[in-house]
Parts: sequence; C-alpha cells; structure tokens
Amino acid sequence: MEHAVPWMLLEGEHADAARYTARFDSVGLQLPERRLTSRELMASTRHHTNIDLERLTGIRERRVCSEGEDSFTLAVGAARDCLARSHHAPADVEMLICSSITRYMGRDSYRFEPPLSLSIKEAIGAPQAVNLDLSNACAGMLTGVFLLNDFIRRGVIRCGMVVSGENISGLGTNAAREIRSLFSSQLASLTLGDAGAAVLVERAPDGKPGILLAGFTTISEHSRLCFGLPAPHGPGARMFTKARTIHKVAMQDAPPLLDAVLEQTGLRLADIDWLIPHQTSARAIKAGGRVLAERFGGGPKHMVVNCEEYGNTSSTTHFVALHRYLTEKRFQRGDKVMLLALASGLEIGVVLLEMDDLVESHGRAH
Amino acid sequence: MGARIESVGTSHSHRGLLGRGALHLSDEAAKKCLQHAGRHADDIDLLVNAGLYKDRNMAEPALASIIQEDIGANPGHPPVRDRHGTFSFDVMNGACGAISAAHLVDGLVGKGPARLGLIVAGDADPGTSQDFPFPSVGGALLLAHTDADEGFARFAFRTFPEYADLFEVRLTWEPDQKHNVLEVRQDPSFGRRCVECATEATTAFLSAIGLGAQDVDLLIASQYPPGFPGELGGALGVPLDRMPIVPPELAGAHTAGPIVALESAMRSGQLARARNVLFVTAGAGVTTGIALYRNVPR
Repeated sequence: MEHAVPWMLLEGEHADAARYTARFDSVGLQLPERRLTSRELMASTRHHTNIDLERLTGIRERRVCSEGEDSFTLAVGAARDCLARSHHAPADVEMLICSSITRYMGRDSYRFEPPLSLSIKEAIGAPQAVNLDLSNACAGMLTGVFLLNDFIRRGVIRCGMVVSGENISGLGTNAAREIRSLFSSQLASLTLGDAGAAVLVERAPDGKPGILLAGFTTISEHSRLCFGLPAPHGPGARMFTKARTIHKVAMQDAPPLLDAVLEQTGLRLADIDWLIPHQTSARAIKAGGRVLAERFGGGPKHMVVNCEEYGNTSSTTHFVALHRYLTEKRFQRGDKVMLLALASGLEIGVVLLEMDDLVESHGRAH
Repeated sequence: MGARIESVGTSHSHRGLLGRGALHLSDEAAKKCLQHAGRHADDIDLLVNAGLYKDRNMAEPALASIIQEDIGANPGHPPVRDRHGTFSFDVMNGACGAISAAHLVDGLVGKGPARLGLIVAGDADPGTSQDFPFPSVGGALLLAHTDADEGFARFAFRTFPEYADLFEVRLTWEPDQKHNVLEVRQDPSFGRRCVECATEATTAFLSAIGLGAQDVDLLIASQYPPGFPGELGGALGVPLDRMPIVPPELAGAHTAGPIVALESAMRSGQLARARNVLFVTAGAGVTTGIALYRNVPR
C-alpha cells in the first residue's frame, strides 16, 4: 500500500524498513511526599482572585518538593525505581537522556553544565551510557523516547533510558504572588506539580510487539505562546502562557496529524484502547476528547485523566499516568496505548505502542 | 548511505552592537547556512539547537522551535498532503552539544525518515553573569541524506566524572543581590584536563577503527577552553596545517566551536582536500564527543 508523505516525522511499521522493534521495558516514578491542595495554593495568593482552581482544572492537589528534593533527586529516584522493575542492570543502559525542563540541583540552583544526565548516570551506576540532556518543554520525555526508538530500531543500541525530574511547582508559588484574575497569563502555572519519571526502552525480542509508531512535528508559528523564564525578583522561575490560544490551536492542529498517524498504522481512533494525553487539566482533556470523537466518528476506548492528584507534572505526565495504570493493572496484553504530547513549541508528538510483557513485569521487583 | 555536510553558516556579535542575543545569532547563522546551500527552509525535516546560553535564560519552549518559526521552516498549519513538516528540539551537552546533535540527526537523516537536518548552536551572555567566558557566536550546520559513501562514519562519547567539578555553570538565586546570577566556575586545571581526556579518548577512538594520527586529514576541535585546538593537535601529533585557523571574532566559541572551525576549513580549502575529518569536542564533565566524517575530496 502506498502511503502519503506524512507531515509528522514518523518512524513506524510502514514509514521505513527498520530491523528491530523497540518497546518499554519498565517505567519508574518518584513522587515527593508533600502534598499541596489547590485550596491551599489559592489561599496563598497575594490578591483576591475568585478563582476556583479545583473546579476549573479538576486538579485537587499536587506533590511538591521539600528541603533536600530537587530535579536531580527526583530523576535519580525515578531511574532507580525503573531499574528495580527491569531485568536490565544499570550496566546495560547504553544511552541515557535527561529531558527535564527544570534542572535544579540544590536549592534554587539551576545547572547548565555539566549536563544533569551525567550526574544521573553516575548516581545509578551506569557510567558507560552515552548521556545527553534535551529540552523540549512538556514533550521532553516523549522526544527522548522518539530518539531512543530510532537508535534501537536501527540496531545501534539495545537499551536506553529517558528520565526527567521536574521540580516545577515553584512556578505556581511564584504565580500565586502575582495572579489577579482568571485571565492572568500565569494561570497555567497554578496547575504544576513535581514528579520524577523514567522509562527503559529496549529492543523487543523477535516477534514481540512494542512501539508501533513514533512521530513528532513542531507547528512553530505558535512557538511564542508559552515562555518559561527565571523570575526577575525572586528564586525559581515564572511561566507565561496564552493558555486558551494554545488549547484552541492544539485542537485545530492535532486531529489532522493524528489522522495521518492512524493512516500509517491502518488503525482507527476507536481501535486505541487508551489515549494518554499531556495532563494539563481534566476540563481541557475532556474537551479535547469531545473534539476527537466528533472528528473521528468515535473516540478512543479510554481517555486517561490523571491530573486530579498530581497536577501537570510537565515533561513527566505521560509516565506518571502510565506508572499508575500499570500499578493498578488496568492494561491488558494487546492493548493499544497512544501517548500524545502537546507542548510549548507547539510540539505535537505521538508514541503508539502495544502492551505486552510490561503489564506483568511492572509489579515484579528484579 | 548517511548524512553529508551540505553547508555551514556562522554569525557573531559586533562590538558595541546591541540586540545580538543567542536567538538573533542562531537565526542569522541558520539563514546563512541555508543560503550557502541554496536550500529553502521548508526543506528542513529536523532542526536541533545545541546552544546553551539563551536570551533571558529561557527554559521553555525549545529555542529550536523559535528559530524554526523565524527562518520560516514549515511554521504553519494546516498539514498539507504530500508535504512534510519540521520537528524541532534542543540538545544540551555543553561544548559537545553540536556533536551530540549530529549523532541524533545522522541517524534520522542518514538512515531514518528525515532527509535534511539543521543543527544550530549559539550562545550569548544572557546578562545575568559577571564573568561570562564565551564570545557571542552562532553556528549552523546542514546535514543532508546521501546514498554515497560519505558522511559520518562513527561517533564516540566519553565522560570523565572525576573532573566534573572543574567547570560548572549554574543560575542561582542570590538573596544578597536579589536576583538570579549565572555563575561560571572554572578551575585553572580545566583546560589541561580537557586536552588530556580528549587525547585519551581520541587515541582509543582512532585505534578502534585502525587509524592513526597520520590518517587524520583535518582536525575540527572545540574552540574553548582557549588554546584547546592547538594543544590537542600537538598531543595527538596532527600537524598544524591539518587544522583550520579560526578568525579572532569567532575564537573561543562555545557550543558553535566545531561549526566555526569547520567553516574556516571550508574557506581555506582544507575540507575540500580532506578524506578523514575528525571532530573532537571536549567540555564540562569532562565530556568528550568525537566523530569521524568521511569526506569526498572535491
């Protein structure tokens, strides 16, 4: 069958003739213990806002770092959890990609060099891994998966890790000092929560399923809709987002791209068992689900909403959700899971995989 | 089959000229690079930025996405049937970032779904440092798919974490000064350790592929720390005439270092005469990134 040139940069079954299939071997998580409810956060605003954040976003609480926790410790914790659930030893990791937006190592100290990935690989006992950091906003972890998928499919490596530690809730604390109304450009900062996540991607044994397709594109005419910058008069950072515009353009641009992805795989959206979108707010995810269902004449079997207890954990949201659903044993072998990235840039990415051994191996300590 | 170097472009800040941040420098280098190749920005499938020090220390979005918009590489919707888009993201690996980016782009362009990849690397003082050590320089490198026997043949990355403390850059909140300060901490031994680590890694790299220093027709090295290229060439035994002379306004470039060296080698005709081109980068970590590029002498 002839396939049209896809707009997204795609790697999958029909897109090229790769030798191997990549799959998720294990998923790791590290959450701070401390919880901050939306009520507590909104009670800390300097100005009276009248914003019912929980009702608006569906986010009841988020985890926040305490003294001694930062991007690095969350990433290392997640990487260790990931390895504990894997049959791989740290010595098997050939490539390690750290994709945190926040790069805090120590209190209020954001490290540019050396890369965080170097310290992470040393901390987990994988000094042999080729390491690099990448930055692609909330699409960072899935961008890392896209790249490892390419290396594994070509047979260059057998096993790699993507890890991210997001100590990002401070943007919400900073926003709370300045926000005045629902129309504030810092409103989205109030949804943020801290989390570390990691995924080991490995070459699947012959005949085993894994990543069916991975694709990305950047609709850069929207690149200036969201900025994260260091705060000018205090520690940490601030984020300015034209949230309504981003949601609108994402809803406009994502469906035709998904159409092309599905065409490559010969699947319909209704064949997707679980769609895990980036977790911004429950309301935005449900609205997006309605748009997709309308466009495709039926949505995925399950649209995953996982932000009530964790908020928007930026680049880690897909893997926080995946970890939880694996722990709760919600997936079955053969389930088709679509991870959908929508991030500042505007980055739109898809990783489509078929569940297999992971549904059982996740709960097993090795 | 692989990814061949199609063109390079560089830019730098002129003394006293304002408004030349990393974005401006990167945009300019990217546009020059495309112009030299006679390519349209829409041809680019993949755009990777390896620059680290950005305007206002921006953490989000990836600078690559803004560069993509500025140079007009498939910026808009709607996706059109039988037309491809552009995918952009940033890589951060200090002075080795451009070689890390080349490693990723080489696979996707040379053996994967992309046909043309642009690597951009630019750094400029974000204005929050008292001792920013790098000149304001941008570089861009265009890699195109080829079915011929040319392009990147091998990459190798090594880290020497025992020297991780010798060079560190952090943005830290300083309560006394009441703002975030970009602190650059460099030990006096950093330059020497970079040369030692790069020499050890390069010697092992060449030995693994059955080559010696005499087989290196052109050595393209990091431009920071100062003196690194010459000392590395001396330690490896690569004659000076096999190394480019980088103009003073581009000397000391950080992430764009190997790109400005490559441009100098193109201008001098050294690249056109070379078969084995060896890229050797070294920086914080200490990290070394090495690549062998098989060139077709023209």
